[in-house]
Amino acid sequence: MNNSLKREIESMFSDIQVIIPEDTRILITARKEQLLIILKFLKEKGYNHLALISCIDWEEERQFEMVYILTSYLQKNNEVTGDERLHVIVKLRIPRESAEFITVIPVFENAEPYEREIHELFGINFEGHPRLTPLFLEREYKIPPFRKDFDTRKYVKEIFDNIPFIPEKK
Amino acid sequence: MRELELYFGPQHLGMVGNFSITLKVEGDRILEATSNPGYLHRGFEKLMENRTWIQNFPMVCRINVVEPDSMEMIYTMAVERLAGIEVPERANYIRSIYLELARIGSHLFGLWAYSNLLGFDTVAQWAMYHRDLILDLFEELTGGRVYHIYIWPGGVRRDFPDGFKDKIVSTLHSIGGCVPDYDATFFNNRLFYERAKGIGKITQEEAKKLGAAGQVLRATGTKFDIRKVEPYAAYDKVDFGIPIREDGDAYSRIWVVRDEMIESVHMIFKLLDKMPEGEVYNRVPNPFKWKIPKGETYVRVESSRGELGIYMISNGGDKPYRVHFRTPSYTHGLIVLEKLLKGASIADVGNIMISLYVVAPEIDR
Repeated sequence: MNNSLKREIESMFSDIQVIIPEDTRILITARKEQLLIILKFLKEKGYNHLALISCIDWEEERQFEMVYILTSYLQKNNEVTGDERLHVIVKLRIPRESAEFITVIPVFENAEPYEREIHELFGINFEGHPRLTPLFLEREYKIPPFRKDFDTRKYVKEIFDNIPFIPEKK
Repeated sequence: MRELELYFGPQHLGMVGNFSITLKVEGDRILEATSNPGYLHRGFEKLMENRTWIQNFPMVCRINVVEPDSMEMIYTMAVERLAGIEVPERANYIRSIYLELARIGSHLFGLWAYSNLLGFDTVAQWAMYHRDLILDLFEELTGGRVYHIYIWPGGVRRDFPDGFKDKIVSTLHSIGGCVPDYDATFFNNRLFYERAKGIGKITQEEAKKLGAAGQVLRATGTKFDIRKVEPYAAYDKVDFGIPIREDGDAYSRIWVVRDEMIESVHMIFKLLDKMPEGEVYNRVPNPFKWKIPKGETYVRVESSRGELGIYMISNGGDKPYRVHFRTPSYTHGLIVLEKLLKGASIADVGNIMISLYVVAPEIDR
């Protein structure tokens, strides 16, 4: 199962990297232009459940890594075949300075809040996303708070140590 | 008719939890709904990057207040997978029993919220009382009532105390003995049927398209349960059924919850029978100096609300480099809810939301 999928993906693009680290995992490293094509292909192959979109800030390498984790729902007749255990992980890196990316909502509708969250917490812009409005945060931050260079302790000290003391009225 | 904007929650009688929905209404019909999470955003995922692997436990279990145990389980599973730690057989059984008890407790809490909303105050009190009996079990086993931190990398923190098996059995018997009462007052009640049938209906295709899992999906006729699909702990050692319903509305979802509780009780009895003797804990290295090798992993469990996953990256250090939780309420509360509220009436907002089993702290993290 993994090996045939690996071969099929490798035949689609010449410069794609597919690794099988374990029996139940497939790791695909792709480029930005290939992402939608690969996700569409995987969805048709039966990996129709986008479990998670995650983002990692690799500060030393000056890159953001986007991670798409796909698994599959039960295919037919509600039978467990064992294929559902396979997790397909699609990864790509974008430069930290120009954090521009594309949305995958055309393929997976449930990507919407994940991308909204990543936009808010990491400051990545998703081209084509219908509403990149704030999701969790109420304040504006100079550095998006989930980036590695955002120092939570320093921020707390700056904001909350400066609240003026209110003297008690007699 | 005039279009109005209506703020539903966080201070609203029909709202459970710190969550709000902005509704665009025309008369009684909802034209558009927008979920507003963020009232409980504590940035746990960021804070966890500054704490050691073991120090993170008190935070992990606070992500879901109602069922902290699956959260412990998933964090432990990810750490064990990255560090390559084996778990003794007995600990696996204890974990499964513990998680099933937590599932029953969580479902009873959900039943409290739902029946309270529909005006079945008696049933709500029963459910809360029976949940309390489960919490008593947890208190004896772990010392804590709500947050337990019992599952630990390498096993569980301590073995069952003397006579604990019998206590589980007698507690479950006393709860199970009330199932006919629950059925007569609530589940087979015409009022419940009238109030919940056809409310918040979702088809199987749509549920799959929106990434739903758990009862929301099982109420549409799919037997998708991670305990079966990708077994963890001791779930592959026992046989159990997966209750489903076909209609995909609030009525079906609550019936799936009821059937699941009964199935969990049966499963606990089977696990107790099969439980082997032996150690419950494999020693891990000194937690203060514990470095976990470089790697990444995604693991998932079936929590009482649906698919709960964690994506974890280790940089080879004593702290995680990145932790990201995939919580079931995130999908259900942000996309499925917005979709189902379109075209519903204002009176059904709470009904739909609680039947989807949304817990706000899980969304915000």
